[in-house]
Amino acid sequence: MVTEERVDEWARLLIEECVGVQPGWQVLLIGQPLARPLVEACARRVARREAYALVRYRFEQSANAAWLKEAPAELTGTTAPITAHEYEAASAYVAIVAPDNTRDLSDVPGERIASYLSAMRALTEPYLADEKPWVGTYWPTEALAQDAGMTLRQLEAFVLGAVLVDWQALAKDMERIAARFDAADEVRIVGAGTDIRFSLAGRTGLVDALGANLPGGEVFYSPVEDSAEGVIEFGEFPACYQGHQVGGVRLRFESGQVVDASAASDEAFLLAQLDADGGARRLGEFGIGCNPGIQRHIRNTLFDEKIAGTVHLAVGHGFPNLGGTNVSAVHWDMVKDLRRGGRIELDGQVVQEDGRWL
Amino acid sequence: MADPRVEAYARLLVERCLDVQAGMQVLIRTTPLARPLVDALSRLIARRGAYVVPRIDFTMWPTNAAWAAEAPLELVGELPPIDKHACDAMDARMTIDAPENTAWGAELDSERRALTKKAEHYFFRRTISMQIPWVSCQFPTRSLAQEAGMTLEQYEDLLYGACLLDWEAEGAKMNGYRDRFDAADEVRIVGPDTDLRLSVAGRQGEVDDGRVNMPGGEFFYSPVEDSAEGTILFDVPTHYQGVPVSGVRLTFRAGRVVEASATEGEETLLAVLETDEGARSLGELGIGCNPGITRPARSTLFDEKIAGTVHLALGASYPSTGGTNESAVHWDLVKDLRVGGRIELDGAVVQENGVWTI
Repeated sequence: MVTEERVDEWARLLIEECVGVQPGWQVLLIGQPLARPLVEACARRVARREAYALVRYRFEQSANAAWLKEAPAELTGTTAPITAHEYEAASAYVAIVAPDNTRDLSDVPGERIASYLSAMRALTEPYLADEKPWVGTYWPTEALAQDAGMTLRQLEAFVLGAVLVDWQALAKDMERIAARFDAADEVRIVGAGTDIRFSLAGRTGLVDALGANLPGGEVFYSPVEDSAEGVIEFGEFPACYQGHQVGGVRLRFESGQVVDASAASDEAFLLAQLDADGGARRLGEFGIGCNPGIQRHIRNTLFDEKIAGTVHLAVGHGFPNLGGTNVSAVHWDMVKDLRRGGRIELDGQVVQEDGRWL
Repeated sequence: MADPRVEAYARLLVERCLDVQAGMQVLIRTTPLARPLVDALSRLIARRGAYVVPRIDFTMWPTNAAWAAEAPLELVGELPPIDKHACDAMDARMTIDAPENTAWGAELDSERRALTKKAEHYFFRRTISMQIPWVSCQFPTRSLAQEAGMTLEQYEDLLYGACLLDWEAEGAKMNGYRDRFDAADEVRIVGPDTDLRLSVAGRQGEVDDGRVNMPGGEFFYSPVEDSAEGTILFDVPTHYQGVPVSGVRLTFRAGRVVEASATEGEETLLAVLETDEGARSLGELGIGCNPGITRPARSTLFDEKIAGTVHLALGASYPSTGGTNESAVHWDLVKDLRVGGRIELDGAVVQENGVWTI
């Protein structure tokens, strides 16, 4: 149940733990109208921290669709100077996604969306580069529930279960896991249709707990770029990216490159992404899902990549702060379930079997 | 199906009221309920090559009631630098009243309400002095309909009937009445419980022919600041920041309110008068002329335009009409003259029972 107490605790995690609002700050609270209970709970929490809450609702998650469809082409890759100033001057931002229709940009031409998003990306860069705090979260709505194949009530329970976990305890567990992977050179993942090895030698992982995503709950790396060898089949869940759901993705790597790719459905989209640029066939991320509150796949990467007992590999852009050097416009996380017949080996030693740590 | 009147209304606002030019940053403040109008406006503004800067909240930006109820008082009384910058940089602004509940301010005590008014003053200062194009208007909501004692359908008919007029013809009529007032020194308003004289000597009237207010349909003056003498009963109910106020009776000596009472909301009335030095003086005398509006709707925007009414505003005057009164308050109170009232100019009756005799 989405009670007032739980929403307030959610807001506390966002404002006090993830962002750490300080007196005098100007905090952008960006949300969609359906997220009102959480937006207002955040505004109250910001007020109690003696900081300014700048509340901005927008109808679509990432752009003003009506404007973007009709604006002259030369304006679509720009933002209003007032908007640019706002991101520059803000101390932090909180984004609460709560769509009433997850396809609400579907009649805007893709190149317009891309050019607008790249303009917005320039504004959010200092936040994504960890110079200023930010956090993103999802408020359960009927539209998100529909995509997840759930009722709203089920999705509410699911999201709260993923958000309201004992983060201190989970962070400790994940730090132990990260220490073990940090110390290893080679990772091997074995499972249904899968036997792949890659190297983490010299790389350190990041623990995602009360950071830029709520829920967090993963440990992630940028693997050594030319190291991946073998096959992985993402047969348990569709690989979701940019509104596409590609079933049965199978990738074969040689010297870090995808040399063979196939899918059971929407294969053309998969191949187009892999051919997007020079970096799209290499791994940018290896992540280990650790959130015990997330047990099922809901076709929403923010949650799915955190399922305890799964791993994910992203083709495309790597994390420079984790030593990653791969550059690409693509970063597509694909989630592999290891809970029914899978294992992770580090330098030849099994550390997880059927999703359970040994 | 979309109401075609929304599209016509949006055209009126973008083309006539703001005359949006390429490159402008048009700040639109409203609530999520106005989405059909905001979408139509966004398309039209985009086609003119200008930016939309949406400021959408359930309470009217720059005030967020949830935040303002708990933030330190010194923050509530002053806009954050980011919002001040937007006020300084916007090239045009549109305020679309579209409440889901007109009592939205009820959680704020009178001190906090006064502080939010003080902070908002920064937003109004470039529009009240006519430095940039602006317009205040409404989008029909169930809350506005309820306040007016109507169904939503009836309210939509009222709004669009009052707005979608031949504004050139209305303007010509009002210019004629205005010329008559310009030539006069003393205005006397007589009616039940009412006999008030004030001077417009040396002041020029302005005709609202559907530009800064939509609906338009009034002409107005800043009366000579120390001239008001007598008593007036405002028999059209109103509200102040969501608090209902009716039966307001004011007595003036040398231009200042010396006695005030109300049959409903008297505490609010008295608090408003204490806001600052200028709150007890008149900032406006207006004469309603809109033929599309015939009955009060507890909405100043309409009520002050009812053909056959006059209104007086406590507080800030319009410098463009020669007014010098300064205040954070500008509160219009409406007097119906259609049943037993008259207007005299220098002793000559020009309107009787709401009907012009000139």
